[in-house]
Amino acid sequence: MPVVQVKLPDIGEGIAEGEIVRWLVKEGEAVKRFQPIVEVLTAKATVEIPSPYTGRIHRLLASEGDTVRVGQPIVEIETDTAEPGEPQEPVEKVREQTVEAKTMQEAPARGPTAPPSQGTARVRAPPSVRLLARKLGIDLSKVKGTGPRGVVTKNDVLAYAEAQRSAPQPAMQVAREVGVQEERIPLRGVKKVMAERMVEAKTRIPHAYVVEEVDITELLAVREKLKPLAEEKGVKLTVLPFIMKAVVKAIREYPLMNSSLDEERGEIVVRKTVNLGFAVDTPHGLMVPVIKNADSKGLFQLAREVRELAARAREAKLGLDEVRGSTFSISNYGSIGGVLGIPVINPPEAAILGVGRIRREPRIRDGRIEERSLVYLTLSFDHRILEGGYATRFLVRVKELLENPILLLAGDGELD
Amino acid sequence: MEVLGRRDILNIDRALGLYRVLDEDGNPVAGEPSLPDKLLLDMYTYMVRARILDGWLLKLQRMGRVALHAPNKGQEAAAVGATLALKREDWLFPSYRELGALLVRGMTEEEILDRALTTIDDPLKGSDFAIYGHRKYNIVPAPVPVANQIPHAVGAALAAKIMGDKIVTMTFFGDGSTSRGDFHTGLNFAGVFKAPVVFVNQNNQWAISVPLKRQTASPTIAIKGVAYGVPGIRVDGNDVIAVYTVAMEAVERARSGEGPTLIEAVTYRLGPHTTADDPTRYRVEEEVREWERKEPLRRMRRYLISRGLLTEEEDKALWSEWEKRIEETVVKVLEKPPLPPEVVLEDVYEEPPWNLREQMRELRDSIRLLKELGVELE
Repeated sequence: MPVVQVKLPDIGEGIAEGEIVRWLVKEGEAVKRFQPIVEVLTAKATVEIPSPYTGRIHRLLASEGDTVRVGQPIVEIETDTAEPGEPQEPVEKVREQTVEAKTMQEAPARGPTAPPSQGTARVRAPPSVRLLARKLGIDLSKVKGTGPRGVVTKNDVLAYAEAQRSAPQPAMQVAREVGVQEERIPLRGVKKVMAERMVEAKTRIPHAYVVEEVDITELLAVREKLKPLAEEKGVKLTVLPFIMKAVVKAIREYPLMNSSLDEERGEIVVRKTVNLGFAVDTPHGLMVPVIKNADSKGLFQLAREVRELAARAREAKLGLDEVRGSTFSISNYGSIGGVLGIPVINPPEAAILGVGRIRREPRIRDGRIEERSLVYLTLSFDHRILEGGYATRFLVRVKELLENPILLLAGDGELD
Repeated sequence: MEVLGRRDILNIDRALGLYRVLDEDGNPVAGEPSLPDKLLLDMYTYMVRARILDGWLLKLQRMGRVALHAPNKGQEAAAVGATLALKREDWLFPSYRELGALLVRGMTEEEILDRALTTIDDPLKGSDFAIYGHRKYNIVPAPVPVANQIPHAVGAALAAKIMGDKIVTMTFFGDGSTSRGDFHTGLNFAGVFKAPVVFVNQNNQWAISVPLKRQTASPTIAIKGVAYGVPGIRVDGNDVIAVYTVAMEAVERARSGEGPTLIEAVTYRLGPHTTADDPTRYRVEEEVREWERKEPLRRMRRYLISRGLLTEEEDKALWSEWEKRIEETVVKVLEKPPLPPEVVLEDVYEEPPWNLREQMRELRDSIRLLKELGVELE
């Protein structure tokens, strides 16, 4: 007896999704064609959806309270007989198509159209042509548009499809095969370490998070003033060393931030020196080199070490001692582009600071609208060691130091 | 003050009162109606068929097979009773909530389902401009916007009058339609030119979520006809015999050259406005329950049984027979292939001009190519 999937039908007038309110049938229960099986709440009304088949409920694919899209499978029915006239798709075939759809980056039903391919220039084509291309498995960026301003027309797609059909490797077939094929990448090296550590972090450490927005306009101005001096010393001054400086300064006032939990003995181990880890995105994976004794180093020294360690990380030339022993970490994903991230703690540390992208945005200062440079800092912390209040006060202190560069750099030896 | 002489003709009392043959429980209010037994049974059967078909259209919509449906439940008597007064050569200008009227005109469940599911046999070939219609049965396709059909019916009636055709047109519309200009233009024009048209207003108390008291300050809808010189009759729209009786009188008046009549059939929409509507958001359950007690099928069934024309067993058999027949029709229609895409270019001109023929050729070529490439057409 074939098992067929029932999709949430298009119940009309712009309905894109619905919430499963109540199942009227249970798994294993016999069901008749046209018998109501589920109550669905749409944006307009609560409706009962009848079964398109006679048979037995094989599996409910959505739970009460779930939101399902039109066209999304909601239940599998083991049918008694194949009923003609209904669009029947055996489950396997449906799955295959789902994989294919994902590979081809098909947008959800009625959702925004996903770009046909990533990393290519934007293709001009009307929605009907995009749909056609998607159905044919054609990457629109490969089709030469003959319409005004290079718009790809329906005929362009059809001509391309026909050309591909006669070519030795038809595009359509390639796309369909890609859809069901898969590549298997062994998890090893840096990636394996990352995987293991992240599982450890996320399963053992109860994470909590707090976010601050920091105005670094003044800090950037200070950096500009310091640049010539830094260049004299052969240092390229980025924002990261300033943040490191702020972190180590704040840790002096909030030493528990620089600690770890000895689970066996039930003790919090407070580290007396700050070894700062910072995440580096390298071609072979995530590396976290460590600046030892960061709390005793000046701004320029930090900048120098960041630069050297990052370069060695990218070349995979870091020594074992250069990636070990960190007591606090910073993840500067903002250098790539994330506005706000939620980093995962680097075990066994107590916390990690995430740095978002620097944004230029209007803010009100002294009653006037000004363009300011802003950055989101996210502190992820081990809630076994640190209270939310303590962690937040630490983050607020980091913010104060960054917003008042004089405080940050005041003191003997802070600069060097 | 002198009362103008036309008071008697316009029958203001009939526009303000409520004409009724059966009370809410199916008891005759003023003697047995003198109608043939077969006609009485036919009235009931049409209503049963409309009720069952209505339920199926709702179900099919929930299965994603019908785009939209405007449920009829509770309004079967007005549609069936009024349409039964027409002759075969007369023309119907329906709205979208008169399945019973379509059935009375001779349209079959299969033809209605073909339309709703836009199968290869859809009489309107998938056109979105209208809901139901069928040339074979003199049913002009019902437009989607409300009240548009009212001037159409007036114009057709007037044309027939000018040409000397002894036909009558009948149009249906809801209470919401009476706030549109088309209603007033149509009534005024029909009144002035004595067009042979019968206006049937299905006053179902709700224009989607707008209640009647927000629709008009007039005491009744029938009274609106008086100002246009069109007699208005207010009738219990859930009393199929009463609707038939007033419709017969209106149709005869029209056919004999006396002009139009406005019938206000007071009824109630028991279901949602359409399948995209949730009436629980704007009306109270008690109101619906009260009208459920007054619904037309229960009333007629009780009358037929008390008159000895129907037994409980015969009633059950009638329902199960039509339930079975209509389910079989539904299954049959579900298996029909859809309309071919080419129909979008048909029926624009009687003889397609060169550019349309060229488009048709291109469309056919594209479809053929897509099929060769294995693309599913939706």
